[in-house]
Amino acid sequence: MSEVLPAEMDPSVWLSLAHTASESDVRRALSNEAPTEADFAALVSPAAEVFLEDMAQRAKHLTESHFGRTISLYVPLYLSDYCPGGCVYCGFAADRKQPRSRLEPDQMLREFGALKTMGFEEVLLLTGERSPRADFDYLCDAVTEAAKHFSAVTVEAFPMTTDEYRGLAAAGCVGVTLYQETYEPIQYHALHRWGPKRNYANRLDAPSRVLEAGMRHVGLGALLGISDPMFDTLALYRHAHALRRKFWQSGVTISFPRVCPQEGGYQPPFSVDERFLARIIFAFRICMPDVPLNLSTRENARFRDGIAGVGVSKMSIASRTTVGGYSEPTCSPDGQFEINDDRDIETFFTALRTKGLEPFFKNWDRVYSGVGISK
Amino acid sequence: MGGASLKKAPFFMDILINGNSHTHKGTGSLDDLLKELEANPVAVAIMVNDRVIPKAERVAVTLKPGDRVEVLSFMGGG
Amino acid sequence: MNIEKKFVLGGQEFESRLLVGTGKFSSVEVMLAAIKASGTQLVTVALRRFNRERPSDDLLSPLAKLGITLVPNTSGARNALEAVRAAMLGRELSGSRFVKVEIHPNPHHLMPDPIETYEAAKQLAKEGFIVLPYMPADPVLAKRLEDAGCAAVMPLGSAIGSGHGLSTTEMMKLIIADSGIPVIVDAGIRSPSEAAAAMELGCSAVLVNSAIAAAGDPVAMAAAFAMAVKAGVSARRAGLMAQSCYAVATSPLTSFLIEGKT
Repeated sequence: MSEVLPAEMDPSVWLSLAHTASESDVRRALSNEAPTEADFAALVSPAAEVFLEDMAQRAKHLTESHFGRTISLYVPLYLSDYCPGGCVYCGFAADRKQPRSRLEPDQMLREFGALKTMGFEEVLLLTGERSPRADFDYLCDAVTEAAKHFSAVTVEAFPMTTDEYRGLAAAGCVGVTLYQETYEPIQYHALHRWGPKRNYANRLDAPSRVLEAGMRHVGLGALLGISDPMFDTLALYRHAHALRRKFWQSGVTISFPRVCPQEGGYQPPFSVDERFLARIIFAFRICMPDVPLNLSTRENARFRDGIAGVGVSKMSIASRTTVGGYSEPTCSPDGQFEINDDRDIETFFTALRTKGLEPFFKNWDRVYSGVGISK
Repeated sequence: MGGASLKKAPFFMDILINGNSHTHKGTGSLDDLLKELEANPVAVAIMVNDRVIPKAERVAVTLKPGDRVEVLSFMGGG
Repeated sequence: MNIEKKFVLGGQEFESRLLVGTGKFSSVEVMLAAIKASGTQLVTVALRRFNRERPSDDLLSPLAKLGITLVPNTSGARNALEAVRAAMLGRELSGSRFVKVEIHPNPHHLMPDPIETYEAAKQLAKEGFIVLPYMPADPVLAKRLEDAGCAAVMPLGSAIGSGHGLSTTEMMKLIIADSGIPVIVDAGIRSPSEAAAAMELGCSAVLVNSAIAAAGDPVAMAAAFAMAVKAGVSARRAGLMAQSCYAVATSPLTSFLIEGKT
């Protein structure tokens, strides 16, 4: 099994440019109607720092052209925190002491009800790595039930086979999110101490299998800070580009989870400041203007409000990262990560509307977002 | 009776060439037909009854009355 | 795709990115002289019925002498069936696997039929042809043809013989951005500057016919086109300068960011 980044994803050739690009490289990138990979490298480089305001203006303009002045909303629902994995950075790692649980069907129904009452139409169902208590069948059953209630059901769980993804799609799932965490193989191995997630190549290939199965959307991302964020950002761009080139009838969404230092816990080796985060969000918007860019409640209210509509087109709100937790207090007190924007929906809506952005819950009806055309 | 070395006797045959009636005088081989048309065998392609006849297979073809033959060559085109 | 270092079609590399059509010339002599002057390595030819009253000018040997690869086109075919048959005949005559699939059922505007073209291209690609489909400048059709196994796509610049230049620029940009195979703009180019513009846009090559054949001096025009295509390629590789960004006065968007905040 290859533990090396395939050439189409390997950003090594662009790393040097991403560090040494000049101001004129950035200017050229900003004025290029059809930005290339070299332009992306220039826009994420340190030289782009002084152009951040220009990049923001361009990003806002492009977000408005492609998405209107709207923000698409979704909510994450953790079905289970059973996880055999050993990821150093994760609140659900198997060596963490908290009691584990999963939602049983009646609890799921109550959670779905609570979320629908809040207004949500798109739900992201999450589990940890494949485990006996939260396996494919459990997930598929949850999707089947959720699809009866929500316009769009997406999943963020463990890497699956193409057939399993087809099964999820048949059950009503319209998209799968799977973060590579880090594209750098050596660091990847160091961080994933045990468990099925150690299989780097299998995880890397999974988004391709998602689209091969005919699923409409795949969500990509790297956990910024667990490894060199420049490497991961460039690799993420290449990954998205390669998937779009091959699966031209499907959509890619990009997320920007930034790992925060945990008190008494994991300290990320690379610091990712919010100007860098903003820069890469703007760079993706400028270079892939039609790709939805997603920001979760890992980030605080000030940052989220500032960047909504300026590159970012999709956000979660009123989130819980514990199991369930929307209809009643959860059994698992420790979430997967810390939430830094805990505003309720009303408050969030007001903030967005003040900026001239209209949040919406429902995009397409599921009947139009079913399994795509087979190749 | 004899094998491939026996020469066939020439005769008359009515066929269509490029949509026009034509009375072929020869053995019915494509070689004879091309000679009759004064066509350079290398510079033309032949179809018989909607089937493209590769050069290597020309020798195997004997025309029958009523056969529709198309003889084509290259001309200038965009 | 961005201009790739080499121009490769069907596994063969070509120096010249100017393809020339052989139609509409006043004589075979002029046509051959123009082709020589253009430096082209790929020319299209059409099929016609042999007519002994008008001895066909033999195109095969003089072109072969110039080391040119023939690309028979299927012009005259009105549907996929006829195009496939024409391709088979063309391969018979030329000995080359190249074919330009050209199906334009409407004789007034000569626009390519996307459905018949796709069907023919798919079949011919399966048969091992190096398929160059002439198509409307449609980005989705371009990807479908690529998936079907074509070696390149040939979106039109404007109607054949119209000389209306690159009227499909916006669509061409989309095609070029997403294409994994060479994009060769075909039809409608009138002037060398338009050919240069096509190369600067990111096309891999251009096919020119009428603009050369109907020029006052076809041989000189062919040479001019050759220079223009080279200029366009060089310019793209050299990196065109940044255009000035339009200034939009709005309130600052990045004041919410705090320096050094992790």
